[in-house]
This record gives sequence, structure tokens and C-alpha cells, in this order.
Amino acid sequence: MAARRLGGSSWQQVVSLSRRCCLPGGRRERYRCSSSSTALGKTVENSGVTQEEIVLPRRKTWDKLAVLQTLASTVNRDPTAAHYMFQDDPFLMPRNAANSRLFSLSKESGRNAAKYIIKQFPQYFDKTFAEPNIPCLMPETLTPQIEGVSEEALKERIHLRRVKDAVDLFDQLVQAGTPVSLETTNSLLDLLCFYGDGESASEKEEEEKEDLEEPGVNASEQKAPKRQFQRGSRSSGSRWRENNNAERIFKIMPERNAHSYCTMIRGMVKHGASAKAYDMYIDLLNERHKADVHTFNALITAVPYLKERFLERWELAKVFLNHMAQQEVQPNLLTFNALLKTLRRCGGVGRSMSLLVIKEMEALDIEPSLATYDHLLFIFYRGVDLSPSGIISEVLDDVEKRTFTPQDPDDANFFATAMQTCCDLKDIKLACRLNKAMEKGDNWKFLDMDRLNAYWSKFFSLLCMMEQIDVVLKWYKEMSPSLFYPTPKNILDLLQALDAANHLEVIPSVWEDMKQLGFSRRQDLLEELLSLMSREQHPEEIQLAFAKCAEDIKAVHEPTGREQAPLEWTGSALGHVAVLFSRAGRTQDAWNMMERFQQINRIPTDQVMDEFLNCAKQTNCPDEAIKLVKLAASLGLPSSQRLKSRTEKEFELSEKQKKTLESIKSDSDSSDSDSDSDSD
Amino acid sequence: EKDESTASKDSATEVASKSREGTAETPKQKLLDLIGNMKVEVSYRNKLQQLKTREIKKQATNKLEGPDSEGSMLQKTTEDTQRGKPLNPELVKAASAVASSLPLNKKQTESELLAQLRRHEETTDKQKKGGTINIRNVISEMAVKRQSPAQGGLRISRRISLELDEDGHRIKSERLSPQSSDSRRSLKVGRRLNIFTKASKETENALKTVSSPTIWDLEFAKEIGAITAQPPRNGFEEMIQWTKEGILWEFPIDNEAGMEDDAEFHEHIFLEKHLEDFPKQGPIRHFMELVICGLSKNPYLSVKQKIEHIEWFQKYFEEKKELLQEI
Repeated sequence: MAARRLGGSSWQQVVSLSRRCCLPGGRRERYRCSSSSTALGKTVENSGVTQEEIVLPRRKTWDKLAVLQTLASTVNRDPTAAHYMFQDDPFLMPRNAANSRLFSLSKESGRNAAKYIIKQFPQYFDKTFAEPNIPCLMPETLTPQIEGVSEEALKERIHLRRVKDAVDLFDQLVQAGTPVSLETTNSLLDLLCFYGDGESASEKEEEEKEDLEEPGVNASEQKAPKRQFQRGSRSSGSRWRENNNAERIFKIMPERNAHSYCTMIRGMVKHGASAKAYDMYIDLLNERHKADVHTFNALITAVPYLKERFLERWELAKVFLNHMAQQEVQPNLLTFNALLKTLRRCGGVGRSMSLLVIKEMEALDIEPSLATYDHLLFIFYRGVDLSPSGIISEVLDDVEKRTFTPQDPDDANFFATAMQTCCDLKDIKLACRLNKAMEKGDNWKFLDMDRLNAYWSKFFSLLCMMEQIDVVLKWYKEMSPSLFYPTPKNILDLLQALDAANHLEVIPSVWEDMKQLGFSRRQDLLEELLSLMSREQHPEEIQLAFAKCAEDIKAVHEPTGREQAPLEWTGSALGHVAVLFSRAGRTQDAWNMMERFQQINRIPTDQVMDEFLNCAKQTNCPDEAIKLVKLAASLGLPSSQRLKSRTEKEFELSEKQKKTLESIKSDSDSSDSDSDSDSD
Repeated sequence: EKDESTASKDSATEVASKSREGTAETPKQKLLDLIGNMKVEVSYRNKLQQLKTREIKKQATNKLEGPDSEGSMLQKTTEDTQRGKPLNPELVKAASAVASSLPLNKKQTESELLAQLRRHEETTDKQKKGGTINIRNVISEMAVKRQSPAQGGLRISRRISLELDEDGHRIKSERLSPQSSDSRRSLKVGRRLNIFTKASKETENALKTVSSPTIWDLEFAKEIGAITAQPPRNGFEEMIQWTKEGILWEFPIDNEAGMEDDAEFHEHIFLEKHLEDFPKQGPIRHFMELVICGLSKNPYLSVKQKIEHIEWFQKYFEEKKELLQEI
């Protein structure tokens, strides 16, 4: 930073600036780069006071990312562009949420395809061109090297996570009578329990071709670090089968230690066999072993599957906690998070007990993570009448002060839950506080693409409800499309906000956005849009703009020759479009609309017909007026009489036209006998 | 009189409970149960009013004869019917039956039992006239079972909420749960579970046994790392990611990165010190200096290899020297 500022300012200014930089910003990462600032500061001081001895500062070492991190901190979000990962070809920038998800999945899928090729054909990728060599781009050697039936070979296969091979080798060893050490058997059990007798990803890939549609699904078991769309590995698809390999091996083990029991319990809980896990735990106690903290955490998460009634669930959880205390196992953050997760499913009991849990955490000096707060908010704010408790502001107080590091897979849910709560409470201030907390430090990283969209979407709806229109429009311009893609609900809320603020002239630009977002075929949005535009008369240019929108909407309803079937007209939509055309003086277009009413078996309202007549009068098209009267008569509308008299009065009709008009009268004779004698 | 009546009430309950415990499942036991579980009915109201007045009269007058008591009771009740609605004759009969079965003073027992009935009526009256009917109090006064009201309330609320949540209906109602405390709930104040005690530092360190991470640990660490692994927001963040993966050079660029070279640059370039064994003059020296010049510019050989080169030359010229000298 000091280096950048050297350009324009004098030396003294630079020094004072750099001193200002480094003094308060000791904690901030940005200014870490100003390496020479402390040295400068010291020398200036020294020049003033000659008695001071010169203390040379120690040489600073920077980690490899310091330069890049500083540079990255200078770049802000571009509000007009899509996310960086889509910036390749402007044509390929996604315009709405569905597309953005699709594109990012395709990008990830491309990467996975490339990795697959490298893995399948390593013989083509053996030359190392790069100096120094880049190991992560080279094919990995995953084939086991050690052959033969030995414990070493078994260990290698376990390490390479080849489940089937390891089990086969173990069976061979047992049959041959070779003793397998307890440690190796335990690590084999670990492997089996983790994968639940399914296969690890490397084996899956060998057997079947990767599904390129949903690469995210495989990600839960893959070795490569997962990127987006990761919801955390919940219990994987394979369920715990009766007498699977893990159970079988467990039974034939000559000796077992606490680790064996613990890993079995964890595996059973992970794969949905909660009752068995509980039985296994009882066995562990009978053998006088001690479980470790992870096992207890797993047992606590399994409580909702073991008991039905709320109080019983809580009692069982307390039993486990008491056992922990007795066995002198220290609980950690995950213990309490698991406890709160169980309390989520305990209704009212959960509400009373969760606070006790929080106080317990405090007493043990365990700092809550975002998952803790997420569970709390869920317990207090979801599912029942929102009692006005101050929990959420207290939670926000805590969250605002800290930056968080991920400690629990459920941390990612916090911001979404919190924003949902703010929206339910209709509190915009809380939402703003939440935003600030999210933008602090690295907290933004907890929201992945999907959640980010949902988060901002909810925030925007709240804004539309609660804030002034200029604030809403400002946020709208800033946030979409770079931060989120508005959902149809957002557009509806925006339209309503515009209506409330009497700012309907913005509607044409909203329509443009709607077209970009791909909402131009949604009936509900179209109805809302049309009714807002046609409700009142507006000044000339706005009316023309509205008519242009109406034309676009009309185009949506026409057959385009592409795959999409044209939208069906509804009576109200047709009427609105006709009104809009009429008000803009586009008589021919308006007449086109009027003609369609019969096609869809609908009747135009009086207002529509009056507007059309007004339009015809202004544009001086008596023929159209006569056509209208004919139409009304043929439809047998009661207003046809009125229209006829209006036409007679307001238009200058030629003789022929007058005759035509009168002849229409005779059509309506049959239906309108009373007025007949009067009008003639 | 009032003292007597209260005393009689206490003893009546005692008697009632004793008789409940004492007798077996006889018809009388059933009747007693009936009395015990009695639900208050509206029609009793007037009857018991009459009963009350009659009771007082009865106590004021002298004791009636034993065996005649039943008959007189019945007579009295028939008298009552003339005045107003009498007590349910079955109950009266039951009460007298109980009284006759018990070894105590029959009249006393009977009066006590009937006084209890009266009390039930009074309670109903009071609460019907007075404000809200607190069902819980009425139930507890009936002394159906030994149950604390709070527990009963909790059970009821639990049952309601259970039914709702287990049925999957989203009916929001938890009126009976302690909702009044909701508004006072705070994270800052409150009790704790008191199950655990904070481990001291020594025990913490002692408990930390170093074991190699299991597959559970590794996968958990991966999962945690993936939570905050978001795609890069700009080119610099992308470069940061690549640097972490090892794809990109590290800034500031060190062009010796990845090179395993133990020697410093001067050992590569200043190779003259290896020429000490050669003659100082002459074509050999000249030649070797050219060799050294070439080697110093050679980036592909390690220092060891260069020294080997020079030593090869040295050996070569040594052999040749012998040859030359022979010649």
C-alpha cells in the first residue's frame, strides 16, 4: 500500500500515511503487505531525536499467498457482471438462477471428465513438462504395489481405500491362519464402517462410467476436495445391511478393543441402523470399555431415531451425556451441536432445554459455531407461533463480533436460516445486521451458490415489503444479476412495491429484466404486469412504452415456430392488451386484439370497449368503431346499444357508414326487443 | 359445628381411602370407587343444598338409633323430595351401605360421606357462579389420583404436542406449555445442565493421546474444508487457489523453486580453484580455462558433475603426460 501511494505524494506524506496504515491496522490482513512501513516510521522518528538508538526491525517473511491476497482485496464485486466463473464468452453468461446452476455444474463436470481421462489413460500423461513438476495434474498411481497375501498388502489396500480388495485379502489371511494385528483389523473396520459396505468412489468409477449429468452426487465419496453444491455427507445412499462385511468381521475378531466397538457404532449411526448402534453401545459398556467423544456424538445424533416422545428423547440424550461424564470423556463443540440438533426435533422440550445447553457450553469455555446458532434459531423460530423472544438479536450480537472458521458441516445453514427468520419476523434492521455480519471477513464463504441465491432473494423480498422504493431500486440495480437472480416472487414483490410507491413508469425496464430472466411466459407475472399497466391512464410517453411491452407480451402468445407452444390468452390479458394499445392510439393493433375475443370464447369488458371507442375517435377511424359495434352486437352484449349511440353521436359518419350502423341495429333486434322501438 | 364438619371431612377422606385400600373387589368397593371418581352433576345442586341443611339439623339433634338409621334416612329423603330435588337415592343408598359395612359409627360415616358429596357440589356451585372454572383445581380436589398439577400440565402439553407432531399435522398449539417464560428467554441468563465439569489443563494434555488420523478424521476434515470452498470471485482468488494446489509459481517468484541444488551460484561460476593441479602455463591451461568458461555457463550440470568433468580431464592429461614424457 505504501508503494502505491508513493506516486503522487511527498515523502513526508507517504511516511505519515504509512504510519497511519500500520498503527491501527495491525490486525487487518490488507496492510500486511506494507513491509517497509515500520522501518520508515522508525527512521523518521530517529532523525528527529538523535539520542535514540537505531533498532533494525527483523526481516519479515511472507507466506506464498500474501501478494495475491493483497491484490485480491483490492478487487470489489462488479455489479453488472455475472460471477467470475462464468466470464468466458458473453453469450454464455447465465441469465437466471436455473441457468447459472446448470452452467456451473457443466463447468465442474468438464473438470471431472478431464480428470477421468487422465486417470483412465495414464500412459499418455507420463511426460513431465513442467519445471518444477506439478503433481496434482499428473495421474495418480492408485494400483496397489504390494502383491501377495500379507498384512502389508492388506494395509496398502486399506490405505488406497479399495474396499472389496481389502475384504477379500482379509478373508484370505484369516483362512490361511495368518494372524492379523488388532490395529490393522481396526483400520479395516474403519474403512468398512465409513463406506457402509458400499464401495468407495475409486471403485465405483472403475465399474461404471461416470454420470456426467450430476457430478456433484459423486463428490461425497471422492477423494478430491469438493467444490460447490456440496451438502455435506449425510448418511450415504447405501444402508446398513444385515450381517454385512463389517458385522461379519467384527464377529470373527479374536479380540476387540474399544476402538472396534466405537467404529462400529459410528458406522451404524451413519448408515441408519440406530437401534443396532444402541445395542452395540450396550455391548461396549458390558465389556467395560470406554467410548470416545466421536462415538458419543454419533449416539446423540441417533437419539431421534431411537425414541418418539420428546421427553424420552431428551432423557436418553441426558443418559448419554451422563455416561460421558462418568467415563471422563470431555465433550467438544460437536457434542453440543449434536445435542441441539436432537433438540430441534423435541418441540417445546427443545425450547426449554436448549438454553441450558448453551449455558453448559459457556461454562466449559466452548465457543459456539455457526451451526450452534443455526440450531438455536430453528428451535425458537420455526414451526410454531413466533413468540417474541430476543434470541435472534442476541445471536446476532454474538455473530457480529466474530469471524468464523468452519467447524461443523451444519455451519453452512446458518445464514439461510437467519435470513428466513428475519423475513418471517419482517424485521429489516435485523436483516441488515445479518448482512453486515456476513460480509465481515471470510463469513461470506459459508454461503454456496444455491444458498446465496436463496438468501439474497429473501432479503430482496423483505426490502420490497419494508423499504422505500428508491432504496429498493438501488439494491435491485446493485444486486442483480451479479449477486443473485431474482425469482418470480421477487419480481412480483418488486411490481407491488412500485405500485405502492406510484412509480409505475419503471415497469417497462422490469419487463426487460423479466425477459432476460426467462419469466416472459409466466402467466401470474404477466397478469400482474398487464393489470398494473392498464389500470390508469398515464402520460403520453409512458403510455407508449406500455404499449411496447404489450406488444412483446402479445408476441409471447403467438406461435413462433420454435419448440415452445404459444401461451394461451386469458380474457383479462387480452382485455388489458387491447386497452393498452387503445390508449397509445394503435387502433389496428387494438382491433386485432378485439377480434381474438371470440376465438377464446371470452367477452370484452365494457371498459375495454369504451377505451377502444375512445381510441377510434382520437385516431378518427369510424370504420373501426362500426366494426366494434358489429362485434358487440354479434356477441349479444347489453352494452352494444350504448356503444351504437356513442358511435352515432361522437363520430362523423358518412352516409354509407350510417347505413351500416343502422343495419347492425337490426341484428340486435332479436335479442333486444325493448330498446328496439325506442332507438328507432 | 363447623369444626366438627371439617374434622369429619378429613376423617371422611381418611375413611374413604382406608376403605378403598382395605376391602377387596366387592360391590361395595365398586361403589366406593364410584364415589371416589364421582363427576359432579348439575342436578345435585339443589339436592345437596337440602342435604346441607338437613345435615346440620341432624347433627344438632341427638343420635338416632342404629338399625333405624337407614329407614330414617330414607324417610328423610322422601321428606326432601317434597321440598325440592333430593340427593340421588342410589348415592344415598351407597353411602348408607358403606356406612353399614364399616365397623365404625355408621351414622358418623354416612354423614361424613354425604358431607363429602356436599363439598363437591359446593365447589361446583362456587365455580359456576364465580369466574372461570379451573378444571385443574376441580380435578385435583376430586383426589382421583396422586398427581402434582404441574406434572399433569406437562403431561397434557406433551401429549398434545406429541399428537400434533407425530401425526405430522402442522397445527400450531402449545397453549399448555410454559409459554409465559418464552418472552423472558435469553442466552445470557439461565441455569446450565451441570453435567460436565471443565477439565483442567493437565488432564486435558494428558488425555490428548497422539494417534494417527483414521479415515473418519480425514473425511471429516475434508468435509469441513469443503464448506468454505467457494469458487473464486476474481482472477486473483483463482490464482490463490492455483498456488495452493501447486499449479502456479509462488510470488515473489524464485526462479530456483523446485530445483534441488545444494551449491551456491559462485560455486558454479568460479571454477578456477579446481585448476590448481594443472600447469599454470601452456596449451593445457589455456584449454582448461576454456573448459571452465563453458562449464560456468552451463546451467544443466550440477556442481558435482562439473567437478567430475574437470577431474576427468585431469586424469586424462595425467595419462597423456606419461605418454608424452615417454616420448
